[in-house]
Amino acid sequence: MLFSSIPFLYYFLPLVVLIYFLVPRKLKNAVLLLSSLVFYGWGEPKYVFLMVFTIAMFYLCGLLIGRAKKQGWKKFWLTVSAVISVALLAVFKYADFFVSSFNAVTGLSVPLLRLALPIGISFYTFQSLSYTIDVYRGNVPAQKNPIAFGAYVSLFPQLIAGPIVRYADVARELEHRTHSVDDAALGLRRFLVGLAKKIILADSFALLMAQFRQSTEPSVLFYWMYAIAFMLNIYFDFSGYSDMAIGLGRIFGFHFIENFNYPYLSKSVTEFWRRWHMSLGSWFRDYIYIPMGGNRVSKARWIFNILTVWMLTGLWHGAAWNFVLWGLMFAVLLLLEKWIPALQKLPGVLRHVYVLLAVCISFVLFNAESFAQVGSDLAGMFGLSGLPLVSVQTIYCLRSYGLLFVLGVVGATPVVKRAALRVSETKLGTVLEWICMAGLLLVCTAYLVDGSFSPFLYFRF
Amino acid sequence: MQSNKIHRLGAMVLAALWLVLTVFAWCLPPRALSESERRPLAQPPQVTVQDILDGSFMKEFETYALDQFPGRDSFRKLKALFHYYALNRADNNEIYLAEDHAAKLLYPLDVSAVELAMSRLQHVYDKYLKDANAQIYMAVIPDKSFYLAPALGYPTMDYDAMFSLVQEKAPWAEHISLTDVLDIEDYYKTDIHWRQENLLPVAQKLTQTMNLTVPEEQDFTKVSVDRPFYGVYYGQAALPMQAETMYLMESSVTGACTVYDHETGKTMQVYDPSMLESKDLYDIFLGGAKSLLTVENPNAKTDRELIVFRDSFAGALVPLLLQDYAAVTLVDIRYISPEVLGNFVEFAGQDVLILYSTTVLNTKGILK
Repeated sequence: MLFSSIPFLYYFLPLVVLIYFLVPRKLKNAVLLLSSLVFYGWGEPKYVFLMVFTIAMFYLCGLLIGRAKKQGWKKFWLTVSAVISVALLAVFKYADFFVSSFNAVTGLSVPLLRLALPIGISFYTFQSLSYTIDVYRGNVPAQKNPIAFGAYVSLFPQLIAGPIVRYADVARELEHRTHSVDDAALGLRRFLVGLAKKIILADSFALLMAQFRQSTEPSVLFYWMYAIAFMLNIYFDFSGYSDMAIGLGRIFGFHFIENFNYPYLSKSVTEFWRRWHMSLGSWFRDYIYIPMGGNRVSKARWIFNILTVWMLTGLWHGAAWNFVLWGLMFAVLLLLEKWIPALQKLPGVLRHVYVLLAVCISFVLFNAESFAQVGSDLAGMFGLSGLPLVSVQTIYCLRSYGLLFVLGVVGATPVVKRAALRVSETKLGTVLEWICMAGLLLVCTAYLVDGSFSPFLYFRF
Repeated sequence: MQSNKIHRLGAMVLAALWLVLTVFAWCLPPRALSESERRPLAQPPQVTVQDILDGSFMKEFETYALDQFPGRDSFRKLKALFHYYALNRADNNEIYLAEDHAAKLLYPLDVSAVELAMSRLQHVYDKYLKDANAQIYMAVIPDKSFYLAPALGYPTMDYDAMFSLVQEKAPWAEHISLTDVLDIEDYYKTDIHWRQENLLPVAQKLTQTMNLTVPEEQDFTKVSVDRPFYGVYYGQAALPMQAETMYLMESSVTGACTVYDHETGKTMQVYDPSMLESKDLYDIFLGGAKSLLTVENPNAKTDRELIVFRDSFAGALVPLLLQDYAAVTLVDIRYISPEVLGNFVEFAGQDVLILYSTTVLNTKGILK
């Protein structure tokens, strides 16, 4: 089920909120677990069994790790949880990628599995892995209550597109969380901001991208509009989803970690990845990069560590070679930034332009369906395809999307948030803020009623 | 502290608004039709274990929830206004407003669609017309964007390429260009179609080429229809537009003719008053979307007959072409397969007019 859908907004969510706040405290996790399973099953009913299996497997492994006296057994059960979960990920997400790559290299025709990708499998697998690893490390005790643990793994606000909430971050709130009108109000506001980002901004940029792909009048400017539209599309789509997840969590008494911190303000790629999909970056850092030795190893090993982590980061985003290259591109840029300290001494504007250009090109690679398309997109952007600078359709789209681009660029900076905070310091400002929120709800609803299906980008991850 | 109270109050009012919409969404009885979109609305899906397991219930429920959302038309209007005016978007649902007209972005030219359409017409020619000793004429009706879009910077299909392609693919027909006898004011502002009262130049050009008596203005009486007309783009765009007045060009010929609907076996008038109640007022012209009609003219000046392969535009034009013909058969191969056409129509020496709009030709697979 999509957050940005009428069934979620006007059927599922109100009912769940109502039941959640009506039942006694000890039943709240059960309500969350059951509603999360319904939420998950709405999209792909058969994969509810996979979710239940994942919950049961990680729950048992966590218990066994916690109870084991000897380190060897702890390691064994950790390995069991890791192998099974990675195997599930490999089968459901990567099997066809491996098979088609094998076929391409060998010239064989091993049949593809063609399994539908279970929604959010990458998110909940990584989330659950963080649990058994943290129990193994002794950072958190194993959760004994299967309902509470099931609610953690399947929690619908962040189930399908993050943020990747570590068990340690919500362990206390799973058992002793508080609820208040203030928290609910903050959550509601955050949710609506995220909903508007997704529906009004991200989906509009997606429409422009679709028009670009269908165009018979490409131009250099159109290629750049497409690339920038995708930068804004993916940012508002994903950060909007994170906002909605964080807002919903707040309503239910959880405090999820932030996932985005205005990444397009970054002045280095290193900084970009501290601001973009922060929960994934810190997951790879804490559970892959540092256990591999991090940077406290030989230079060659360190380079290997960086390349491995970023190749895996790319693969996490999608089972295709362009994602691997996308990850490796960032690895190279990060290494260059560390090797060439002079880069940090360049004027801020230049560094900013460098990051935006690098990220823009990386997303062209990210969003391409083939390497041929990457080549044609980049050639188009840099005027190597013999295309005109502009076309009638380009001008039309620029006219039609011009204000959206302005709103998108401004919205990707803290300007709007700062202005909203300043306005809400006064009584009138607070009233205006809530009038705006009501307006956003109605406008988003209007877009949904008028529009068609608009899937979240991060569903495929 | 005071601000916190307002904050809580604001949140509660918003939650109440949300709840009200939720209650309406759950409780309002489902509506059968959307007047503005001219389509039936999805009804509550049946709940079966099989439908839930294969996910079809969820898909149907999502469609139902969207279709039956309370205040659907008002929300669609809100979206259109926000989209068009607040976000300064140039179109809403690919409908744009220019010079008081709503028009659809028809872009780009789909060469494969035109080729497919022409191959269907070629099939009709090969099967029925080739040996029928028929004089065949063909005219393509330009859509509104032909006149609106280029001057205002809206993207348009390559019309010249389409017209050339049509001529190239149908060398067996005499092609008549209509672009020079029409302009944007000959179309309804809220609709895709042309205005019948402005079609005399079109009728005159066609009849001259087809060696028929040329209709004159004095042959007709312009009569207004007593119901405001909101065209199809009005509903699709959901933008505020004025209602229009529809006029009919009545004459002694149109009054005397009878129209036989082969599908229903019923007879009606050229402008049938019962169609005043139709969802689409444009149906008043020869009953609207019909697969096969025959208009019989008891006062025809000759015994010639005409077969028109057509889309909905022809409904308004054919009444202006009737005077010489004893019978005019209108065939819409969007609704009837050419394979079975021979069961209903005998092709033997009639004039043939193929009259399709650019919209239909550029839509893939619409012709059977």
